[in-house]
Amino acid sequence: MTTGTGDGLPAAPARPRRRHDLTTPVLLGLPLGWLIVFFVVPICFVGAYSVGVLSLFPGAHHLTFTTWHDFLHGSVYLTLFWRSVRMSLIVSVLVVLFAYPLAYFLALSGTKRKYVLLLVLIAPFLTSYLLRVLAWKVILGSNGVLNSLLFWTGLRSPDHPISQLLYSKFAVMLVLGYVWLPFVALPIFVSLESLDRRLLEAASDLGASRWQSFRKITLPLSLPGVAAAFMFVFIPTVGEFVTPSLVGGVTGYMYGNQISDLFGAGLDWQTGSVLSLFLLFVVAGLTLVFSRFLQIGRVTTG
Amino acid sequence: MDVAVSRNGARILRVFFFLVVVLLYAPILILLIFSFNDSDLPTFPLSGFTLEWYRQFLHDGELHTALRTSAIVAVLSSIGAVTLGVLASLALRRRFKGMAAFSALLLSPLVIPYIVFGISLLLFFHSVGVGLSFATLTIAHIVLSVPYTILVLVPRLEQIDSSLEEAARDLGATRLRTFRSILLPLILPAIVSAFLIALTVSFDEYAVASFVAGSQTTFPIYLYGALRFPSRLPEVIAVAVVVMTASLIVVVGAELGRRHAEGRLGEIEPS
Repeated sequence: MTTGTGDGLPAAPARPRRRHDLTTPVLLGLPLGWLIVFFVVPICFVGAYSVGVLSLFPGAHHLTFTTWHDFLHGSVYLTLFWRSVRMSLIVSVLVVLFAYPLAYFLALSGTKRKYVLLLVLIAPFLTSYLLRVLAWKVILGSNGVLNSLLFWTGLRSPDHPISQLLYSKFAVMLVLGYVWLPFVALPIFVSLESLDRRLLEAASDLGASRWQSFRKITLPLSLPGVAAAFMFVFIPTVGEFVTPSLVGGVTGYMYGNQISDLFGAGLDWQTGSVLSLFLLFVVAGLTLVFSRFLQIGRVTTG
Repeated sequence: MDVAVSRNGARILRVFFFLVVVLLYAPILILLIFSFNDSDLPTFPLSGFTLEWYRQFLHDGELHTALRTSAIVAVLSSIGAVTLGVLASLALRRRFKGMAAFSALLLSPLVIPYIVFGISLLLFFHSVGVGLSFATLTIAHIVLSVPYTILVLVPRLEQIDSSLEEAARDLGATRLRTFRSILLPLILPAIVSAFLIALTVSFDEYAVASFVAGSQTTFPIYLYGALRFPSRLPEVIAVAVVVMTASLIVVVGAELGRRHAEGRLGEIEPS
Protein backbone atom coordinates (compact mmCIF):
# COMPACT_ATOMS: atom_id res chain seq x y z
CA MET A 1 0.00 0.00 0.00
CA THR A 2 1.41 3.37 -0.94
CA THR A 3 0.95 6.64 0.81
CA GLY A 4 -1.39 9.45 -0.09
CA THR A 5 -3.58 7.51 -2.49
CA GLY A 6 -5.93 10.40 -2.97
CA ASP A 7 -3.34 13.11 -3.32
CA GLY A 8 -1.65 12.23 -6.59
CA LEU A 9 -4.82 11.53 -8.56
CA PRO A 10 -6.81 14.19 -10.27
CA ALA A 11 -9.62 15.13 -7.94
CA ALA A 12 -12.53 12.92 -8.87
CA PRO A 13 -15.93 14.48 -8.33
CA ALA A 14 -16.69 13.55 -4.76
CA ARG A 15 -19.51 11.10 -4.53
CA PRO A 16 -22.21 12.81 -2.50
CA ARG A 17 -22.38 11.06 0.88
CA ARG A 18 -25.74 9.62 1.60
CA ARG A 19 -27.19 11.44 4.57
CA HIS A 20 -29.24 8.56 5.89
CA ASP A 21 -26.60 5.95 6.18
CA LEU A 22 -27.94 2.61 7.27
CA THR A 23 -24.56 1.33 8.37
CA THR A 24 -24.31 3.37 11.54
CA PRO A 25 -27.40 1.84 13.20
CA VAL A 26 -26.19 -1.61 12.18
CA LEU A 27 -22.81 -0.99 13.79
CA LEU A 28 -24.38 0.61 16.84
CA GLY A 29 -27.09 -1.95 17.43
CA LEU A 30 -25.18 -4.82 18.96
CA PRO A 31 -22.89 -2.94 21.39
CA LEU A 32 -25.67 -0.60 22.39
CA GLY A 33 -28.12 -3.45 22.94
CA TRP A 34 -25.61 -5.47 24.94
CA LEU A 35 -24.79 -2.58 27.25
CA ILE A 36 -28.45 -1.71 27.75
CA VAL A 37 -29.60 -5.26 28.50
CA PHE A 38 -26.64 -6.34 30.62
CA PHE A 39 -25.64 -3.07 32.21
CA VAL A 40 -28.36 -0.43 32.33
CA VAL A 41 -31.34 -2.73 32.91
CA PRO A 42 -29.67 -4.66 35.76
CA ILE A 43 -28.97 -1.35 37.54
CA CYS A 44 -32.68 -0.53 37.18
CA PHE A 45 -33.39 -3.86 38.87
CA VAL A 46 -31.26 -2.76 41.84
CA GLY A 47 -33.43 0.34 41.96
CA ALA A 48 -36.56 -1.82 41.95
CA TYR A 49 -35.23 -3.98 44.78
CA SER A 50 -34.21 -0.92 46.80
CA VAL A 51 -37.79 0.38 46.93
CA GLY A 52 -39.39 -3.01 47.44
CA VAL A 53 -41.05 -3.29 44.01
CA LEU A 54 -39.09 -6.50 43.58
CA SER A 55 -38.19 -8.73 46.48
CA LEU A 56 -36.28 -11.87 47.28
CA PHE A 57 -39.28 -13.18 49.18
CA PRO A 58 -42.56 -13.89 47.42
CA GLY A 59 -45.61 -11.85 48.32
CA ALA A 60 -43.88 -8.82 49.74
CA HIS A 61 -43.94 -6.54 46.74
CA HIS A 62 -45.02 -3.04 47.48
CA LEU A 63 -43.44 0.33 46.94
CA THR A 64 -41.76 1.63 50.07
CA PHE A 65 -39.06 4.14 50.80
CA THR A 66 -38.52 3.18 54.44
CA THR A 67 -35.24 1.41 53.69
CA TRP A 68 -33.91 4.51 51.96
CA HIS A 69 -35.19 6.67 54.79
CA ASP A 70 -33.60 4.50 57.47
CA PHE A 71 -30.35 4.40 55.55
CA LEU A 72 -30.11 8.15 55.10
CA HIS A 73 -31.07 9.02 58.67
CA GLY A 74 -28.18 8.12 60.88
CA SER A 75 -27.78 4.44 60.11
CA VAL A 76 -24.60 2.54 60.94
CA TYR A 77 -24.27 1.94 57.21
CA LEU A 78 -23.86 5.63 56.51
CA THR A 79 -21.22 5.90 59.22
CA LEU A 80 -19.39 2.99 57.64
CA PHE A 81 -19.69 4.67 54.26
CA TRP A 82 -17.96 7.83 55.47
CA ARG A 83 -15.30 5.74 57.15
CA SER A 84 -14.60 4.01 53.84
CA VAL A 85 -14.57 7.34 52.03
CA ARG A 86 -12.01 8.61 54.51
CA MET A 87 -9.78 5.54 54.08
CA SER A 88 -10.10 5.75 50.33
CA LEU A 89 -9.36 9.49 50.31
CA ILE A 90 -6.19 9.03 52.34
CA VAL A 91 -5.03 6.24 50.04
CA SER A 92 -5.80 8.26 46.89
CA VAL A 93 -4.05 11.42 48.09
CA LEU A 94 -0.96 9.56 49.29
CA VAL A 95 -0.73 7.53 46.12
CA VAL A 96 -1.00 10.63 43.92
CA LEU A 97 1.67 12.38 46.02
CA PHE A 98 3.97 9.40 45.48
CA ALA A 99 3.16 9.03 41.81
CA TYR A 100 3.74 12.68 40.90
CA PRO A 101 7.53 12.69 41.34
CA LEU A 102 7.69 9.34 39.54
CA ALA A 103 5.84 10.73 36.55
CA TYR A 104 7.84 13.96 36.74
CA PHE A 105 11.07 12.01 36.63
CA LEU A 106 9.96 10.03 33.57
CA ALA A 107 8.46 12.95 31.66
CA LEU A 108 10.66 15.92 32.41
CA SER A 109 14.07 14.96 33.72
CA GLY A 110 15.35 14.10 30.26
CA THR A 111 15.96 10.50 31.18
CA LYS A 112 16.71 8.09 28.35
CA ARG A 113 14.40 5.17 27.66
CA LYS A 114 11.50 6.75 29.49
CA TYR A 115 8.94 4.45 27.86
CA VAL A 116 10.85 1.37 28.93
CA LEU A 117 11.00 2.71 32.47
CA LEU A 118 7.30 3.55 32.32
CA LEU A 119 6.58 -0.05 31.38
CA VAL A 120 8.80 -1.27 34.23
CA LEU A 121 6.79 0.90 36.61
CA ILE A 122 3.39 -0.19 35.33
CA ALA A 123 4.05 -3.89 34.73
CA PRO A 124 3.24 -4.96 38.32
CA PHE A 125 -0.18 -3.41 37.89
CA LEU A 126 -0.87 -5.74 35.00
CA THR A 127 -0.26 -8.92 36.95
CA SER A 128 -2.95 -10.57 39.04
CA TYR A 129 -4.57 -8.34 41.62
CA LEU A 130 -5.30 -11.16 44.05
CA LEU A 131 -1.73 -12.37 43.87
CA ARG A 132 -0.36 -8.96 44.76
CA VAL A 133 -2.67 -8.96 47.76
CA LEU A 134 -1.45 -12.46 48.56
CA ALA A 135 2.16 -11.22 48.58
CA TRP A 136 1.32 -8.77 51.36
CA LYS A 137 -0.54 -11.43 53.32
CA VAL A 138 2.64 -13.49 53.21
CA ILE A 139 4.77 -10.52 54.25
CA LEU A 140 2.59 -9.04 57.00
CA GLY A 141 1.22 -12.17 58.66
CA SER A 142 2.11 -12.74 62.33
CA ASN A 143 3.86 -15.89 61.07
CA GLY A 144 5.00 -13.99 58.04
CA VAL A 145 8.11 -12.74 56.34
CA LEU A 146 8.47 -9.41 58.10
CA ASN A 147 7.96 -10.65 61.64
CA SER A 148 10.19 -13.68 61.15
CA LEU A 149 12.87 -11.46 59.64
CA LEU A 150 12.75 -9.26 62.73
CA PHE A 151 13.05 -12.29 65.04
CA TRP A 152 15.81 -13.82 63.00
CA THR A 153 17.90 -10.68 62.94
CA GLY A 154 17.23 -10.17 66.64
CA LEU A 155 15.53 -6.82 66.14
CA ARG A 156 12.52 -8.07 68.01
CA SER A 157 11.90 -10.88 70.42
CA PRO A 158 9.69 -13.75 69.16
CA ASP A 159 7.52 -13.27 72.25
CA HIS A 160 6.42 -9.89 70.96
CA PRO A 161 5.61 -10.05 67.28
CA ILE A 162 4.11 -6.96 65.67
CA SER A 163 0.57 -8.27 65.67
CA GLN A 164 -1.23 -5.29 64.17
CA LEU A 165 0.41 -5.64 60.78
CA LEU A 166 -2.13 -7.87 59.10
CA TYR A 167 -5.90 -7.68 59.57
CA SER A 168 -6.05 -3.98 60.20
CA LYS A 169 -7.06 -0.72 58.62
CA PHE A 170 -3.37 -0.05 58.10
CA ALA A 171 -2.95 -3.26 56.10
CA VAL A 172 -5.92 -2.42 53.87
CA MET A 173 -4.59 1.04 53.11
CA LEU A 174 -1.05 -0.17 52.54
CA VAL A 175 -2.16 -2.89 50.13
CA LEU A 176 -4.55 -0.61 48.24
CA GLY A 177 -1.80 1.98 47.88
CA TYR A 178 0.63 -0.67 46.68
CA VAL A 179 -1.84 -2.06 44.17
CA TRP A 180 -2.77 1.28 42.61
CA LEU A 181 0.49 3.24 42.69
CA PRO A 182 1.92 2.03 39.34
CA PHE A 183 -1.27 2.75 37.42
CA VAL A 184 -1.73 6.22 38.86
CA ALA A 185 1.59 7.46 37.51
CA LEU A 186 0.23 6.99 33.97
CA PRO A 187 -2.30 9.86 33.67
CA ILE A 188 0.11 12.23 35.44
CA PHE A 189 2.88 11.16 33.08
CA VAL A 190 0.66 11.84 30.07
CA SER A 191 -0.22 15.35 31.22
CA LEU A 192 3.42 16.20 32.04
CA GLU A 193 4.62 14.68 28.79
CA SER A 194 2.34 16.91 26.74
CA LEU A 195 3.59 20.01 28.54
CA ASP A 196 5.22 22.45 26.13
CA ARG A 197 8.81 22.84 27.38
CA ARG A 198 9.08 26.20 25.65
CA LEU A 199 6.82 27.60 28.38
CA LEU A 200 9.42 26.62 30.97
CA GLU A 201 12.23 28.04 28.84
CA ALA A 202 10.37 31.31 28.47
CA ALA A 203 9.78 31.48 32.20
CA SER A 204 13.45 30.78 32.83
CA ASP A 205 14.50 33.49 30.36
CA LEU A 206 12.27 35.93 32.18
CA GLY A 207 14.10 35.16 35.38
CA ALA A 208 11.78 32.68 37.07
CA SER A 209 13.38 30.10 39.32
CA ARG A 210 12.62 26.41 38.71
CA TRP A 211 10.40 26.37 41.75
CA GLN A 212 8.45 29.38 40.47
CA SER A 213 7.99 27.80 37.01
CA PHE A 214 6.88 24.60 38.67
CA ARG A 215 4.29 26.37 40.78
CA LYS A 216 3.03 28.73 38.08
CA ILE A 217 3.28 26.53 34.99
CA THR A 218 3.98 22.83 35.43
CA LEU A 219 1.72 22.15 38.36
CA PRO A 220 -1.38 23.99 37.04
CA LEU A 221 -0.99 22.41 33.59
CA SER A 222 -0.66 18.92 35.05
CA LEU A 223 -3.71 19.25 37.29
CA PRO A 224 -6.03 17.46 34.82
CA GLY A 225 -3.72 14.44 35.00
CA VAL A 226 -3.62 14.67 38.78
CA ALA A 227 -7.41 14.82 38.95
CA ALA A 228 -7.72 11.83 36.64
CA ALA A 229 -5.16 9.92 38.69
CA PHE A 230 -7.05 10.70 41.87
CA MET A 231 -10.33 9.44 40.41
CA PHE A 232 -8.66 6.29 39.07
CA VAL A 233 -7.74 5.31 42.63
CA PHE A 234 -10.68 6.71 44.51
CA ILE A 235 -13.47 5.11 42.47
CA PRO A 236 -12.32 1.50 42.71
CA THR A 237 -11.08 1.74 46.29
CA VAL A 238 -14.16 3.33 47.85
CA GLY A 239 -16.29 0.32 46.89
CA GLU A 240 -13.53 -2.20 47.51
CA PHE A 241 -14.39 -5.41 49.31
CA VAL A 242 -11.82 -7.98 48.16
CA THR A 243 -8.72 -6.47 49.77
CA PRO A 244 -10.40 -5.64 53.10
CA SER A 245 -11.87 -9.12 53.32
CA LEU A 246 -8.41 -10.65 52.81
CA VAL A 247 -6.23 -8.35 54.92
CA GLY A 248 -8.65 -6.07 56.78
CA GLY A 249 -9.93 -8.07 59.71
CA VAL A 250 -12.42 -6.19 61.90
CA THR A 251 -10.95 -2.69 61.83
CA GLY A 252 -10.40 -2.78 58.08
CA TYR A 253 -14.03 -3.64 57.30
CA MET A 254 -15.29 -1.39 54.51
CA TYR A 255 -18.60 -0.36 52.99
CA GLY A 256 -18.12 -2.85 50.15
CA ASN A 257 -17.84 -5.68 52.66
CA GLN A 258 -21.14 -4.59 54.15
CA ILE A 259 -22.82 -4.75 50.75
CA SER A 260 -21.32 -8.13 50.04
CA ASP A 261 -22.46 -9.44 53.46
CA LEU A 262 -26.01 -8.16 53.00
CA PHE A 263 -26.29 -10.18 49.80
CA GLY A 264 -24.35 -13.15 51.05
CA ALA A 265 -24.96 -14.18 54.64
CA GLY A 266 -27.44 -11.41 55.47
CA LEU A 267 -29.98 -12.11 52.72
CA ASP A 268 -31.25 -8.56 53.05
CA TRP A 269 -31.37 -7.69 49.38
CA GLN A 270 -33.43 -4.55 49.88
CA THR A 271 -30.94 -2.89 52.22
CA GLY A 272 -28.09 -4.20 50.08
CA SER A 273 -29.67 -2.59 47.03
CA VAL A 274 -30.01 0.74 48.80
CA LEU A 275 -26.36 0.63 49.81
CA SER A 276 -25.26 -0.32 46.28
CA LEU A 277 -27.30 2.37 44.61
CA PHE A 278 -26.10 5.01 47.04
CA LEU A 279 -22.50 4.10 46.25
CA LEU A 280 -23.29 4.24 42.55
CA PHE A 281 -24.88 7.69 42.86
CA VAL A 282 -21.89 9.06 44.74
CA VAL A 283 -19.40 7.63 42.25
CA ALA A 284 -21.46 8.76 39.24
CA GLY A 285 -21.76 12.26 40.71
CA LEU A 286 -18.02 12.47 41.28
CA THR A 287 -17.33 11.20 37.79
CA LEU A 288 -19.57 13.87 36.28
CA VAL A 289 -17.85 16.59 38.31
CA PHE A 290 -14.42 15.35 37.32
CA SER A 291 -15.27 14.26 33.78
CA ARG A 292 -13.74 17.31 32.19
CA PHE A 293 -10.46 16.31 33.82
CA LEU A 294 -10.76 12.63 33.08
CA GLN A 295 -10.32 12.74 29.30
CA ILE A 296 -9.99 8.99 29.26
CA GLY A 297 -9.19 8.76 25.59
CA ARG A 298 -6.19 11.01 25.85
CA VAL A 299 -4.85 9.21 28.84
CA THR A 300 -4.62 5.87 27.12
CA THR A 301 -3.25 6.97 23.79
CA GLY A 302 -0.27 8.58 25.49
CA MET B 1 20.81 24.37 31.91
CA ASP B 2 17.73 22.23 32.13
CA VAL B 3 14.62 24.26 32.80
CA ALA B 4 12.51 21.50 34.34
CA VAL B 5 14.85 20.09 36.93
CA SER B 6 18.28 20.84 38.36
CA ARG B 7 21.03 18.27 38.21
CA ASN B 8 20.67 17.47 41.89
CA GLY B 9 16.91 17.38 41.55
CA ALA B 10 17.21 14.89 38.71
CA ARG B 11 19.50 12.75 40.82
CA ILE B 12 17.07 12.76 43.75
CA LEU B 13 14.14 11.93 41.47
CA ARG B 14 16.11 9.09 39.92
CA VAL B 15 16.94 7.61 43.31
CA PHE B 16 13.32 7.97 44.38
CA PHE B 17 12.08 6.31 41.19
CA PHE B 18 14.34 3.30 41.52
CA LEU B 19 13.57 3.01 45.22
CA VAL B 20 9.85 2.83 44.44
CA VAL B 21 10.47 0.29 41.68
CA VAL B 22 12.43 -1.86 44.14
CA LEU B 23 9.58 -1.61 46.65
CA LEU B 24 7.04 -2.50 43.96
CA TYR B 25 8.93 -5.60 42.91
CA ALA B 26 10.08 -6.67 46.38
CA PRO B 27 6.82 -8.43 47.32
CA ILE B 28 6.88 -10.30 44.00
CA LEU B 29 10.50 -11.27 44.60
CA ILE B 30 9.65 -12.48 48.10
CA LEU B 31 6.99 -14.75 46.62
CA LEU B 32 9.57 -16.09 44.18
CA ILE B 33 12.03 -16.86 46.99
CA PHE B 34 9.49 -18.57 49.21
CA SER B 35 8.06 -20.63 46.38
CA PHE B 36 11.31 -22.65 46.60
CA ASN B 37 11.46 -22.67 50.39
CA ASP B 38 11.18 -26.05 52.10
CA SER B 39 8.72 -25.06 54.83
CA ASP B 40 4.98 -24.83 55.39
CA LEU B 41 5.31 -21.26 56.59
CA PRO B 42 6.79 -18.31 54.75
CA THR B 43 9.28 -17.39 57.48
CA PHE B 44 12.96 -16.54 57.78
CA PRO B 45 15.44 -18.16 58.07
CA LEU B 46 14.96 -20.05 54.81
CA SER B 47 14.95 -23.77 55.43
CA GLY B 48 16.20 -25.22 52.17
CA PHE B 49 15.44 -25.56 48.50
CA THR B 50 12.50 -27.59 47.25
CA LEU B 51 10.38 -28.01 44.15
CA GLU B 52 7.66 -29.70 46.20
CA TRP B 53 5.21 -26.78 45.90
CA TYR B 54 5.53 -26.71 42.12
CA ARG B 55 5.03 -30.48 42.08
CA GLN B 56 1.84 -30.11 44.15
CA PHE B 57 0.65 -27.44 41.77
CA LEU B 58 1.20 -29.74 38.80
CA HIS B 59 -0.96 -32.41 40.43
CA ASP B 60 -3.76 -30.25 41.76
CA GLY B 61 -6.80 -31.22 39.72
CA GLU B 62 -9.05 -28.59 41.27
CA LEU B 63 -6.62 -25.88 40.30
CA HIS B 64 -6.36 -27.17 36.74
CA THR B 65 -10.14 -27.10 36.39
CA ALA B 66 -10.20 -23.53 37.69
CA LEU B 67 -7.47 -22.47 35.28
CA ARG B 68 -9.29 -24.11 32.39
CA THR B 69 -12.60 -22.43 33.31
CA SER B 70 -10.89 -19.06 33.52
CA ALA B 71 -9.09 -19.58 30.24
CA ILE B 72 -12.30 -20.49 28.39
CA VAL B 73 -14.28 -17.61 29.89
CA ALA B 74 -11.40 -15.25 29.13
CA VAL B 75 -11.16 -16.31 25.48
CA LEU B 76 -14.92 -16.27 24.86
CA SER B 77 -15.47 -12.95 26.61
CA SER B 78 -12.51 -11.39 24.82
CA ILE B 79 -13.85 -12.48 21.43
CA GLY B 80 -17.20 -10.99 22.38
CA ALA B 81 -15.72 -7.78 23.73
CA VAL B 82 -13.45 -7.24 20.74
CA THR B 83 -16.33 -7.84 18.33
CA LEU B 84 -18.52 -5.32 20.15
CA GLY B 85 -15.56 -2.98 20.48
CA VAL B 86 -14.78 -3.04 16.76
CA LEU B 87 -18.43 -2.40 15.85
CA ALA B 88 -18.71 0.45 18.34
CA SER B 89 -15.39 2.01 17.33
CA LEU B 90 -16.37 1.94 13.66
CA ALA B 91 -19.66 3.60 14.58
CA LEU B 92 -17.82 6.22 16.63
CA ARG B 93 -15.77 7.18 13.56
CA ARG B 94 -18.89 8.56 11.98
CA ARG B 95 -20.68 11.56 13.32
CA PHE B 96 -24.18 10.90 14.52
CA LYS B 97 -26.72 12.30 16.90
CA GLY B 98 -26.32 11.10 20.48
CA MET B 99 -22.71 10.14 19.96
CA ALA B 100 -21.56 11.64 23.25
CA ALA B 101 -24.18 9.68 25.18
CA PHE B 102 -23.31 6.51 23.27
CA SER B 103 -19.62 6.71 24.05
CA ALA B 104 -20.31 7.65 27.67
CA LEU B 105 -22.48 4.53 28.00
CA LEU B 106 -19.83 2.32 26.40
CA LEU B 107 -17.13 3.62 28.73
CA SER B 108 -19.23 3.67 31.90
CA PRO B 109 -18.30 0.11 32.98
CA LEU B 110 -14.85 1.59 33.65
CA VAL B 111 -16.12 3.68 36.52
CA ILE B 112 -18.85 1.56 38.06
CA PRO B 113 -17.78 -0.04 41.35
CA TYR B 114 -17.42 -3.73 40.48
CA ILE B 115 -19.40 -4.81 43.51
CA VAL B 116 -22.38 -2.76 42.33
CA PHE B 117 -22.18 -4.24 38.83
CA GLY B 118 -21.87 -7.77 40.23
CA ILE B 119 -24.90 -7.29 42.42
CA SER B 120 -27.01 -5.70 39.70
CA LEU B 121 -26.34 -8.67 37.42
CA LEU B 122 -27.10 -11.08 40.26
CA LEU B 123 -30.47 -9.41 40.89
CA PHE B 124 -31.19 -9.19 37.18
CA PHE B 125 -30.46 -12.83 36.39
CA HIS B 126 -32.29 -13.96 39.51
CA SER B 127 -35.37 -11.90 38.65
CA VAL B 128 -35.63 -13.00 35.05
CA GLY B 129 -35.00 -16.59 36.07
CA VAL B 130 -31.66 -17.22 34.38
CA GLY B 131 -29.44 -19.60 36.32
CA LEU B 132 -25.89 -18.51 37.06
CA SER B 133 -23.36 -20.31 34.92
CA PHE B 134 -20.49 -20.09 32.56
CA ALA B 135 -22.68 -18.00 30.25
CA THR B 136 -23.65 -15.37 32.80
CA LEU B 137 -20.00 -14.95 33.76
CA THR B 138 -18.97 -14.55 30.13
CA ILE B 139 -21.72 -11.98 29.58
CA ALA B 140 -20.50 -9.99 32.59
CA HIS B 141 -16.89 -10.05 31.47
CA ILE B 142 -17.81 -8.86 27.99
CA VAL B 143 -19.44 -5.77 29.53
CA LEU B 144 -16.35 -5.12 31.64
CA SER B 145 -13.90 -5.50 28.74
CA VAL B 146 -15.73 -3.53 26.05
CA PRO B 147 -14.51 -0.10 27.26
CA TYR B 148 -10.88 -1.25 27.23
CA THR B 149 -11.18 -2.50 23.65
CA ILE B 150 -12.70 0.83 22.60
CA LEU B 151 -9.94 2.79 24.30
CA VAL B 152 -7.40 0.84 22.27
CA LEU B 153 -9.28 0.79 18.95
CA VAL B 154 -10.63 4.34 18.63
CA PRO B 155 -7.25 6.14 18.72
CA ARG B 156 -5.92 3.65 16.18
CA LEU B 157 -8.85 4.18 13.82
CA GLU B 158 -8.43 7.93 14.14
CA GLN B 159 -4.91 7.69 12.77
CA ILE B 160 -6.10 6.03 9.59
CA ASP B 161 -6.50 8.33 6.64
CA SER B 162 -10.12 8.08 5.52
CA SER B 163 -9.08 8.79 1.92
CA LEU B 164 -7.87 5.18 1.78
CA GLU B 165 -11.39 3.94 2.36
CA GLU B 166 -12.91 6.53 0.07
CA ALA B 167 -10.57 5.44 -2.68
CA ALA B 168 -11.58 1.80 -2.22
CA ARG B 169 -15.23 2.77 -2.25
CA ASP B 170 -14.76 4.85 -5.40
CA LEU B 171 -13.12 1.88 -7.03
CA GLY B 172 -16.28 -0.07 -6.38
CA ALA B 173 -15.50 -2.07 -3.26
CA THR B 174 -18.45 -2.85 -1.01
CA ARG B 175 -18.41 -1.65 2.60
CA LEU B 176 -17.60 -5.10 3.85
CA ARG B 177 -14.83 -5.53 1.30
CA THR B 178 -13.42 -2.09 2.18
CA PHE B 179 -13.40 -3.06 5.84
CA ARG B 180 -11.76 -6.42 5.17
CA SER B 181 -9.10 -5.26 2.77
CA ILE B 182 -8.30 -1.78 4.05
CA LEU B 183 -9.32 -1.19 7.64
CA LEU B 184 -8.90 -4.63 9.13
CA PRO B 185 -5.23 -5.07 8.20
CA LEU B 186 -4.48 -1.57 9.47
CA ILE B 187 -6.15 -2.04 12.85
CA LEU B 188 -5.07 -5.65 13.32
CA PRO B 189 -2.29 -4.79 15.81
CA ALA B 190 -4.79 -2.77 17.84
CA ILE B 191 -7.27 -5.66 17.69
CA VAL B 192 -4.62 -8.03 18.99
CA SER B 193 -3.69 -5.74 21.86
CA ALA B 194 -7.37 -5.10 22.66
CA PHE B 195 -7.86 -8.87 22.75
CA LEU B 196 -4.92 -9.35 25.10
CA ILE B 197 -6.13 -6.61 27.43
CA ALA B 198 -9.60 -8.17 27.49
CA LEU B 199 -8.01 -11.54 28.27
CA THR B 200 -6.18 -10.16 31.29
CA VAL B 201 -9.24 -8.25 32.50
CA SER B 202 -11.32 -11.41 32.47
CA PHE B 203 -8.66 -13.81 33.70
CA ASP B 204 -7.96 -11.69 36.77
CA GLU B 205 -11.50 -10.66 37.63
CA TYR B 206 -12.82 -11.74 41.02
CA ALA B 207 -15.34 -9.19 42.33
CA VAL B 208 -18.02 -9.58 39.66
CA ALA B 209 -17.31 -13.27 39.15
CA SER B 210 -17.96 -13.94 42.83
CA PHE B 211 -21.57 -12.86 42.28
CA VAL B 212 -22.41 -14.26 38.86
CA ALA B 213 -20.27 -17.38 38.42
CA GLY B 214 -22.70 -19.65 40.27
CA SER B 215 -21.01 -22.96 40.94
CA GLN B 216 -18.22 -22.34 38.45
CA THR B 217 -14.80 -21.95 40.02
CA THR B 218 -12.60 -19.57 38.11
CA PHE B 219 -8.92 -19.15 38.89
CA PRO B 220 -9.41 -15.99 41.02
CA ILE B 221 -12.27 -17.68 42.88
CA TYR B 222 -10.04 -20.67 43.53
CA LEU B 223 -7.24 -18.38 44.74
CA TYR B 224 -9.54 -16.44 47.02
CA GLY B 225 -10.70 -19.69 48.59
CA ALA B 226 -7.18 -21.06 48.92
CA LEU B 227 -6.01 -17.85 50.59
CA ARG B 228 -8.24 -18.67 53.54
CA PHE B 229 -6.49 -21.97 54.24
CA PRO B 230 -2.95 -21.43 55.56
CA SER B 231 -2.02 -25.04 54.81
CA ARG B 232 -2.31 -24.37 51.10
CA LEU B 233 -0.24 -21.22 51.20
CA PRO B 234 3.05 -22.64 49.85
CA GLU B 235 1.34 -24.17 46.85
CA VAL B 236 -0.56 -20.93 46.17
CA ILE B 237 2.72 -19.05 46.30
CA ALA B 238 4.14 -21.36 43.63
CA VAL B 239 1.05 -20.82 41.50
CA ALA B 240 1.41 -17.09 42.03
CA VAL B 241 4.96 -17.12 40.74
CA VAL B 242 4.01 -19.06 37.62
CA VAL B 243 0.97 -16.91 36.81
CA MET B 244 2.74 -13.62 37.50
CA THR B 245 5.70 -14.56 35.35
CA ALA B 246 3.43 -15.66 32.54
CA SER B 247 1.33 -12.52 32.68
CA LEU B 248 4.39 -10.27 32.81
CA ILE B 249 5.73 -11.97 29.71
CA VAL B 250 2.40 -11.62 27.88
CA VAL B 251 1.99 -7.98 28.87
CA VAL B 252 5.52 -6.87 28.06
CA GLY B 253 5.50 -8.91 24.87
CA ALA B 254 2.19 -7.44 23.77
CA GLU B 255 3.37 -3.92 24.44
CA LEU B 256 6.65 -4.38 22.58
CA GLY B 257 4.83 -6.09 19.72
CA ARG B 258 2.30 -3.29 19.50
CA ARG B 259 4.99 -0.60 19.42
CA HIS B 260 6.90 -2.53 16.79
CA ALA B 261 3.83 -3.07 14.60
CA GLU B 262 2.58 0.49 14.96
CA GLY B 263 6.05 1.83 14.29
CA ARG B 264 6.06 -0.06 11.01
CA LEU B 265 2.54 1.06 10.10
CA GLY B 266 3.52 4.64 10.86
CA GLU B 267 6.15 4.45 8.15
CA ILE B 268 3.88 3.42 5.33
CA GLU B 269 0.97 5.55 6.22
CA PRO B 270 0.27 9.25 5.97
CA SER B 271 -0.59 10.59 9.38
